Amino acid sequence: MLETYREIYFHPRTQFITIDTSGNVLESDDILFKLKKGDDISSVSLFFKGLSAYFDVDEENDIKFTCIHLENNDRQEYTCDIEFKTFAGAQPTLIIIHDFSEHYKYYQEVAQSRNESVINSQILELKNKYLKEKEDFKNTFIANFSHELRNPLTGVTAFCSVLQKTDMTPEQQDYVEVIKSSADHLRNMIGDILEVSKIEVGKLSLHEELFDFHELIDMLEFTYSVKAKQKNIEFEIDFDEKIPRYIESDKTRIKQILENLIENALKFTSSGKITVLIKENQRRARKVNLSISVQDTGIGIPDEKLVLIFNSFTQLNNSRKFVGTGLGLSIVKGLVELMDGKITVESKVKEGSTFKININLRYPINQEATSLETKSDIERKNYLSKEKYNILLAEDSELAQMAVLKILAQEGNFFLDIITNGEDVIESVIHNEYDMILMDIRMPGTHGDELTKMIRSLPVQNCKTIPILALTANLYDADKKRYKKMGMNDIIEKPFDESTLLKKIYKHLK
Amino acid sequence: MKKASKKIILLGHFGVGKSSLIRQFVENTFTSDYKVTIGVHILKKEVEISPDETISLIIWDLEGYDDIKKTRASYLLGTHGFIYVFDVTRPATFENLENDITYLTNQYANTPLKVVGNKVDLVTKTYLKENKDMFGVAPDFFTSAKTGDKVDDMFIALAKELVK
Ligand SMILES: Nc1nc2c(ncn2[C@@H]2O[C@H](COP(=O)(O)OP(=O)(O)O)[C@@H](O)[C@H]2O)c(=O)[nH]1
Ligand SMILES: [Mg+2]
Repeated sequence: MLETYREIYFHPRTQFITIDTSGNVLESDDILFKLKKGDDISSVSLFFKGLSAYFDVDEENDIKFTCIHLENNDRQEYTCDIEFKTFAGAQPTLIIIHDFSEHYKYYQEVAQSRNESVINSQILELKNKYLKEKEDFKNTFIANFSHELRNPLTGVTAFCSVLQKTDMTPEQQDYVEVIKSSADHLRNMIGDILEVSKIEVGKLSLHEELFDFHELIDMLEFTYSVKAKQKNIEFEIDFDEKIPRYIESDKTRIKQILENLIENALKFTSSGKITVLIKENQRRARKVNLSISVQDTGIGIPDEKLVLIFNSFTQLNNSRKFVGTGLGLSIVKGLVELMDGKITVESKVKEGSTFKININLRYPINQEATSLETKSDIERKNYLSKEKYNILLAEDSELAQMAVLKILAQEGNFFLDIITNGEDVIESVIHNEYDMILMDIRMPGTHGDELTKMIRSLPVQNCKTIPILALTANLYDADKKRYKKMGMNDIIEKPFDESTLLKKIYKHLK
Repeated sequence: MKKASKKIILLGHFGVGKSSLIRQFVENTFTSDYKVTIGVHILKKEVEISPDETISLIIWDLEGYDDIKKTRASYLLGTHGFIYVFDVTRPATFENLENDITYLTNQYANTPLKVVGNKVDLVTKTYLKENKDMFGVAPDFFTSAKTGDKVDDMFIALAKELVK
């Protein structure tokens, strides 16, 4: 019986072949491939061509190959393991071919899905990297471009202030007011875009200073009570008086976070109340943990949009009713995270939204001994020691020259020299006793920061101490640092208006 | 005249386009369907390297490994030339390029070798120019099995070196 079974069920899948020293077949059992004596073994497969160097060796070799694809005369495909055995003495070479097609078919499927998933994940990774690069490029581009936009705005705002001081009919006054507020609005939007792109490329850093936190809150309460009243809504700040008065943090940014959240609440609320809650949770190691929330009774945010709310360039309500870049909240989130804080939002449509921040702020332990010198800069005007001051303006843009000239002219305590070329500045500084230099950064010849360094190194006493203020729209932190390092005392940001310019000038005059 | 036959092997990670390069060279076709090669496929192509000299290239298409040292030594027996292929769009396939090439030139010092960056149809010329240092080794050819760009040139350049 066994023999019968063998005949039915046993299918030998292994072929034995012997060859002579030139690779021609001597014997074959023809299990897989039909061969005649004298056939070139390479006719079975080109595979054997690669072994021709071993056909006539007179030594023992046992070379094994796995997973070789072969085809027989009927174009049937086999996937085989092959053994190639040579012997010492005049014994012929033996080739054993094992057909493992079934096994390898399974292996092929496994390899197929494994390789495909590896490749797909690598392609995805690459796509993400590519997207990120594009995103960075976009942000850098926007950041640079916004700088350029700010320059011409200097002219517009500065001259509006100047124009308002001339003889005008009330109607003309109104028009100028419109131009001015449009320019201000444009400036704010450009500022927002610049901030967002700086946050996104990681170019924004914090400047910690000691400040009076209670005073900041009082100031906000005053400003926004007035604004809310105009819109006929209630406004309240519930402030925990236990919170340390003096805080060490970036005052401008904290103010900006609160302002943006309150502005946002005001914008989307037409009746009801806006409540700002500021509570102390705990203190630990010179840090106080605060919960800040801004709650409104406005239009609210639908659930599906809640996740988008902090993205750049999304304004949920696309109806033209709400103007602005829609960047306020994404700036807030960027800043809060920069300060290692957390921001969340809860909202119900038609009922209102609540933005919650949790943040740690540093404070000096001994609050009593802390004090801030508060002398408003523009007030210092009254304490000046000289009647007239000599100011050098190094600036090539005629627009900016005119702006400074007109503003200073109205004040009446200044003489102004204007130099338009970097090269001539040094000459002039040596030969004149100036009280201050207003220095444009980008000038033909030598740049303002370089000039400052040169002036500081001149062997003239006045050159070491004279206040030098930069006039620039280049406001990356790295630039600011460099200007200070080069010896500049302060920076006047372009575009500047009358009061900013005067404030800074009076602050530094002796 | 008996034609010389030369065995060449394509090495490199899986999915870089080894099989596709061979198919393009031997059959002038390309398919974007990916069929994983397991083990070895062996193909042949006659190459005219000068008006009176033709050789037949026996091309071994190997399963791709991410580690070249895993390639079975027996496969490499009697090899006359190597082509090392990587995919210019997938860093994982050229991460070890420098090491692999050093390994091959040490182990098989006298065997000609061509380094090939494939799938250039997927990237721009500027990308290649700006990133050529990224590959670690300057490739001999940038090819596209899809468009056929530089594919014949690459195989023929190697073939010519084999008969020197
Ligand atoms: N766009 C493009 N795709 C290619 C190219 N070469 C190969 N491919 C694709 O890449 C995948 C893998 O190719 P394959 O030749 O099987 O790679 P191998 O594993 O190295 O043999 C397949 O989907 C091919 O269609 C090429 O030059 N350009
Ligand atoms: Mg393949």
